[in-house]
Amino acid sequence: MLGDVFSYLTDGSNWSGSTGIGTFMVQQLLLTVTALLIAMVLGLPLALYLGHRHHGGTLAVNVTNVGRAVPVFAVLLVLALGPVGSEQFGPYGRAGLATLIALVLFALPPIITNAYVGVVEVDPGAVEAARGMGMNGAKVFSSVELPLAMPVVMTGVRVALVQVWATATIAALVAGPGLGRIITRGFANHRTYEVVAGAVLVALGALVLEATMALVQRYADPMRRARVSVTRSSPTAVGGPR
Amino acid sequence: MRIGRVLGGMVAGALLLATAGCGGSDSLEDTGSGDSTGSADKGSVTVGGQDFTESQIMAAIYQKVLENAGYTVQTKLVTTRDVYLPELSKGSVDIVPDYLAGLTDFLNSEANGADAPLVSSHDPDATLQALKPLAEAKGISILPPSDATDQNAFFVTKDFADQNDLTTLSDFAAMHQPIKLGAPPDCEGRSDCAGGLTKTYGFDIKEIVPLDFASAQVKDAVKKGEVQLGETGTTDGTLEDLGLVLLDDDKGIQPAQNLTPAVNSDFIDANPDLEDVFNQLSAALTTEDLADMNVQVDLERKKPEDVAQQFLEDKGLL
Amino acid sequence: MLALVDDVPQCYVDNDWICAQYWHDYRPELVDATVEHIWLTVVSVLAGLLIAIPLGLLARRNPTLETAVVGGTTIVYTIPSLALFSLLLPFTGLTSTTVIIGLALYSLTILVRNVIAGLRSVPEEVKESARGIGYSDRRMLLQIEIPLALPVIMAGIRVATVSTVALVTVGSIVSYGGLGNLLLLAVGNQFKAQIFAASVLCVVLAVAFDLALVLVQRLLTPWTRRAR
Repeated sequence: MLGDVFSYLTDGSNWSGSTGIGTFMVQQLLLTVTALLIAMVLGLPLALYLGHRHHGGTLAVNVTNVGRAVPVFAVLLVLALGPVGSEQFGPYGRAGLATLIALVLFALPPIITNAYVGVVEVDPGAVEAARGMGMNGAKVFSSVELPLAMPVVMTGVRVALVQVWATATIAALVAGPGLGRIITRGFANHRTYEVVAGAVLVALGALVLEATMALVQRYADPMRRARVSVTRSSPTAVGGPR
Repeated sequence: MRIGRVLGGMVAGALLLATAGCGGSDSLEDTGSGDSTGSADKGSVTVGGQDFTESQIMAAIYQKVLENAGYTVQTKLVTTRDVYLPELSKGSVDIVPDYLAGLTDFLNSEANGADAPLVSSHDPDATLQALKPLAEAKGISILPPSDATDQNAFFVTKDFADQNDLTTLSDFAAMHQPIKLGAPPDCEGRSDCAGGLTKTYGFDIKEIVPLDFASAQVKDAVKKGEVQLGETGTTDGTLEDLGLVLLDDDKGIQPAQNLTPAVNSDFIDANPDLEDVFNQLSAALTTEDLADMNVQVDLERKKPEDVAQQFLEDKGLL
Repeated sequence: MLALVDDVPQCYVDNDWICAQYWHDYRPELVDATVEHIWLTVVSVLAGLLIAIPLGLLARRNPTLETAVVGGTTIVYTIPSLALFSLLLPFTGLTSTTVIIGLALYSLTILVRNVIAGLRSVPEEVKESARGIGYSDRRMLLQIEIPLALPVIMAGIRVATVSTVALVTVGSIVSYGGLGNLLLLAVGNQFKAQIFAASVLCVVLAVAFDLALVLVQRLLTPWTRRAR
C-alpha cells in the first residue's frame, strides 16, 4: 500500500499533463495564495482601522465569523451554478473564479478577527504614553499599536493560510482546480493509493506553508518579546466538507 | 469551586446528550430476529441507499412496504455505495434498493481489482447470474430484479440535436467532431462510459470533465456548451424543461440497471416472508413509474415519502 | 409528457430561493434536521475539548511536543472528510458516533492552539506567588491556571463551535449531517428554496451558539467584564 503510494508519487508521468499532479498543485497554490492576498487586502485595513478606533469591530468580526457557518461547498455550488459560472479562469482552471470567491470569504474571518482583536487588546498604557509624547493618531497606530498587535494579526493570517489550503480541495466538487481532483479521482476508481497520495500531498503542503509562515512571522515581528496575549481568538475555521 | 462545578455540569450534560444520541441510533442494530407470528411488531429493519432522488423514493417505498408488513423501519441514506455496502454486508443495514449492473460492477472491482473486466452486460439475466456469486461472497442476497430500469444515458442540447438531426449516439458519432464529455470521475475507460463511447461508437473524446451523474452541474455544463455530451439516467425527468434531450444507446453499451432489492443474507434467512413482499413490489414497478415519480420530486417538489405512499396506494400494495 | 398539476405552488415551479410555502411544507424536516444539527455540534465540540485540554496540558511546557501536537492536529484537519469517515466506518458504522469523532478531531486544530495559548497567558508572577503560598501543581492548575486561561480558551470554543456548525453538514456522507442532509439533497436536484432555508438555519444556529457562549463566558469569568 505505502509502496503503491510511493511509486505513484515518484512516477513522473503522474505529474505531467493537464490533469497531472503538477498542474493541480500549482493551481492549488495559486488559489490559496491569491485568496489569502485578496482577503488580506479586503480585511486587514478595515479591521486594523476599526481596532484603532476601538469601535465597530465586534460587528465586523461577528458578521464575517457567522458567515462561515454556511458550508463552503454550498457557497461554491451556488456560485458555480449561479451568476459566477464555472468557466475556465486563466491559470486557476475550471470554476476558478467561483472557487476563489468562496475561499476569500472563508479566509476573511480569522484575518479580520485577529487583526481587530490584536489592535484592541494592545496595552492601553502604551497607547496613552505614546499620546502623551505627542504622537498623533496615525503615528500611534504605526509606531505602537501595529507593532504590538503583530503577533496576533499574523497568527490570523497563518491560520487562514493553512485552512484555505486544506479547504481548497473541495473545488473538486465542481470539477474545479486543485489537488482535490486527485483524491476524488482515486476514490471513484477504487485506487486507494491515489487517494492517500493526494491526502499526503495536501497534508505536506499544509505543514510546509505553516512552517514558512512561522518563519515569516518570526522575521516580521519586531517585538517578539512584548507581552501581547497571542490569540485571544486564534482563529478558526471551518472547512467545509471537503 | 464554582467554575469546576459549571464545567462539570457541562461535561455531564454532553455525555448525557451523547448517550441519548448514540443510544437512539444503536438500538436499530438488533435486526428482526423476533417472532414471526401475526403482523405485530416483527423487529426493526434498516433500509440503506444513496441519496439522489430516485434512490430516496425507492428507499421510501421500501420503508412503507416494510412498515406495512409489521416492521419498525429506519432509513439511512448516504452519499456513495462505498459507504453503505460494507454495512449491508455485515448487517447493520438490512436492505438496499440497488441497481443490477451498478452493484455488479462495484462488487466485481472490489473482488477482482479496479482494472478487472466488467462482468455486467446489456442482458439483465446474464448480469444477475454474474452478480449472485459476487454478492453471496459478501453475505448479500439478491432478490429477483424488477423490469423497471434506470440505465445510464447520454444527453445533448435539444437545439444541437435538432440542427444536426440526431436521435442516437451513432448519429452524433458520425459527425466525427472531437467532443468534451461531462461524466463522473470513474468514467474513463469504462465500457459503459468513455471506453464504450470511443471503442464501440467511435467518438473522439478530448477531455472528460468530472461532473456527477445527473447533477445540476453536468446539465449546466452541457447547456452552456462547455461539454457537448453529458451523462444522466433514462428516468431523469428534468431534461425536457432544461432544453436537453437523450440520445439512444443504439449499440447497447449500457448494461442492465434494473432496480433490484439487495438484502443482507442472514436477515432474509430470518425473515423469508419478505421475499414475497418484495417480489410483488418489483413486479408492479415500471420504468415509467420511476420517471413519473422523479418528476414529482425534482420538479413539483413533493416529498419522497408522499410520492411513495401515492404510488403504493395506486398499485394496491398497501 | 406529463402535465404539471395545478396545485403545485408557483414558487416551486419557478424554483425561487425564497418560498414561504417551502417553510410551511417542510417544517417537520427542518425541525428534525435542526435538532440533529444542534446536538451533533454540542457533543462534538465538548468531545474535542475533552481531548484538547489534556493535549494542551501535555504540550505547554515542551516545545517539541507542542510542535508535534500543533502539526498533528493540522494534518488531521487536512484529511478530507470522506477519507476520514471511510477510515472510521469499519469501527463505528453508520452511527452518529462516526460523525462526532470526525468533527471532534477537526475541532482540535483550533481548540488545542487556544488551550496552549490560554495556559501560557497566565502571568508567571501569579504562578510564582501561588507556588510561594504552597499551592500544589494540581490545585494551581484547577484554581489558578484554568480559570485565568478561560477567556482565551472560550474564544477558541466560540470559533470552533461556529466552524463545527458548518462542518456538521459533511456528516451527510454517513447520513448524520443535520441540515447538511437537506442541503446535499437540495444541491443534488437544485431545490433552491431548500438550499436557502438550510443555509439560513446554519447561520441562525451559529449566531445562537455564539451568543450562548458569550453568556457562558460572562458567567464563568465575571472578573473580565470591564465597566464602560
